[in-house]
Amino acid sequence: MLNGLVGLLQVDLLINLTLRDLRSKYKRSALGWTWSVLNPLVAVVVYSAVFSVFLRIQPSTGDPSGLRSYAVFLLVTLLPWQFHVTSLTEATRSITANGPLITKIWFPRWVLPTSAVLARFLTLLVEMAVLLVLIAVIEGHYAFAWIPVVLLLMALQLLFTVGLALMVSAANVYFRDVQHFLGVALAPWMFLTPILYPLNMVPDDRELFGVGYRTLYQLNPMVSWAKAYRNALYDLRFPSAERWLAIVAATVVVLVVGFRVFRRLEPRMAEEV
Amino acid sequence: MGHSPGTPSGTAIALDGLGKKFRLTHDRNWTLKATMLAGHRTRYEEFWALRDLSLDIGHGQTFGIIGGNGSGKSTLLKVLAGILRPDEGTARVDGRLSALLELGAGFHPELTGRENVYLNGAILGFTARDIRRRFDDIVGFAELDRFIDEPVRNYSSGMYVRLGFSVAIHVEPEVLLVDEVLAVGDLTFQKRCLERFAQLKADGRTIVVVSHDLDMVGWLCDQTAWIQQGALRAVGPSAEVIDRFATGADGSTGGGTDAAPARARPAFERLSDDDLVKSVGLIDPNGHPTDVVGSGRPVHIRVRYDGQAAGEPVTVALGLYRADGTHVASINSGATTRGVAHDAASPGRAEGPESGAGIIEVDYVVPALPVQPGTYELSVALHDASMRKVLERHTHLLRFEVTPTGVDPQNGLVALGGTWEAR
Repeated sequence: MLNGLVGLLQVDLLINLTLRDLRSKYKRSALGWTWSVLNPLVAVVVYSAVFSVFLRIQPSTGDPSGLRSYAVFLLVTLLPWQFHVTSLTEATRSITANGPLITKIWFPRWVLPTSAVLARFLTLLVEMAVLLVLIAVIEGHYAFAWIPVVLLLMALQLLFTVGLALMVSAANVYFRDVQHFLGVALAPWMFLTPILYPLNMVPDDRELFGVGYRTLYQLNPMVSWAKAYRNALYDLRFPSAERWLAIVAATVVVLVVGFRVFRRLEPRMAEEV
Repeated sequence: MGHSPGTPSGTAIALDGLGKKFRLTHDRNWTLKATMLAGHRTRYEEFWALRDLSLDIGHGQTFGIIGGNGSGKSTLLKVLAGILRPDEGTARVDGRLSALLELGAGFHPELTGRENVYLNGAILGFTARDIRRRFDDIVGFAELDRFIDEPVRNYSSGMYVRLGFSVAIHVEPEVLLVDEVLAVGDLTFQKRCLERFAQLKADGRTIVVVSHDLDMVGWLCDQTAWIQQGALRAVGPSAEVIDRFATGADGSTGGGTDAAPARARPAFERLSDDDLVKSVGLIDPNGHPTDVVGSGRPVHIRVRYDGQAAGEPVTVALGLYRADGTHVASINSGATTRGVAHDAASPGRAEGPESGAGIIEVDYVVPALPVQPGTYELSVALHDASMRKVLERHTHLLRFEVTPTGVDPQNGLVALGGTWEAR
């Protein structure tokens, strides 16, 4: 039973491909893994300067934590968002970039985008751990009790991202437009997710086609994750039932659709890649 | 995968009405915009690489697939490997499969040999525990003990290929698919690959070999299929099918138009001191070495090899080819080996000051060389007595001329040596 599951999930292959991605990523660079820390560090400095200092966006006050720090407010959502962006970008090219492998050896193709996401997920785990320690030391803000909730959110986000990765990686084999489209779409997607500003800054009193701005805005599933991460790590509060429902529903739908799309596009991949 | 377990009993591979088509897009402007503008479908032409192919390959068989370039051999192998999905019919493979389509295809240049062994093993369906158990064998076979912790980008192409072959061959496949990979690596390595194949064959594994090397297919495979333009042209015992293919290639049927260039390798092999075969030559009826023989005249083909180093009774095999690659004849000393070997070991046959201890000299005595004038090439191989194992193989070792002798001009392949009689 367990062996069957291990075989079905291609555990050995996933581990090996994930390790390949991680090991080869910073080979032959002098700073190596420092780069993966440097990236969020620079982002948080620049975004804090522009949005908090220049544009004077006020972070919401943590309820019930009482915390009021733009850097923490930003980071608890920015790190999961950067995972979203980089894993999708890398997964999109994961099949086309492994063309020689695809045309010479048969193995379940879904492991390629999945391992690309997994490799990035491992770095997210490290980043989140560092973040928790840093905000405890610097701000005296202790979010350790909320680790199980955050892990659950991260696990769901992982599945959600795998579902998306399956779709875009398979589609990219047939239409290379996908990788360019993604590059264009991810920037506005970020600004339409409450990462740099609190959700309540989205106007509630204006309508588009009879639907409120904020209602439309919340059709973006990443809004729910951003809110939930901020609830657990900034407010120190359990996310609401509606948030959980939205998150689980989005995950299930995207994962199922992702696998279906992938299955459909899989047979001819070796010819089109 | 495109195949499932449950073949008819006794067959490792069952193909039933197999067809595979490709799309030839006229301008490969494969973008969303192009597709939208062209309507629902991009314009393309269909091309059947394989059509209506039915074939059964039994368990434990060594099966050759030959055919010209573009005949569909490699497509067939990819369908069997599950990489391509058939558009018609079915392809069933029974048993764990390993495909040697390109050696080291899964290697990542920045990773070390060790990391790549685990990675490639996992891609081939191995668990880490499986690999750990075979790791020393894999590295040993590839002879890379000293370099296994180096990134493979520093490997020579030979090292790269050896490691790839070693991983694939240690998967212990029940069905092994091989596509022309033996054309790589140096001779010593090729020899060891062939030995390994012979071992797998002796273990009862099924091996399917796609190759242009008719010699090799003839030596290795029991059965051979000839594929032409995606259809089965002939199937049966290797020698027969290869002969038909070779003559087809020469005739106007255009069976394997590429066979000749593929075989007419310009590089002639030279024997090195380590080789078992010491020399191969032609001896005229007066006992003098020569490289010119008259058509229909007697000649001895003399092979000298180190019987002591071989350490076992040896079967000597000779292959005769025309310069354009046409296979003329293959012979081996077969069951008479031991007789020949004993005979040769007797003092009367070992001759010359340089024939030291253990050097065995055998002659293949041709009373009247029945071939038309032209340039010919000779290949030599040494097998063990049972013909299971290739000890050494030298293709196109000797080139010689056959000169016209008869008064009547003749054409064709053989010199019939007849006479005209009026009645």
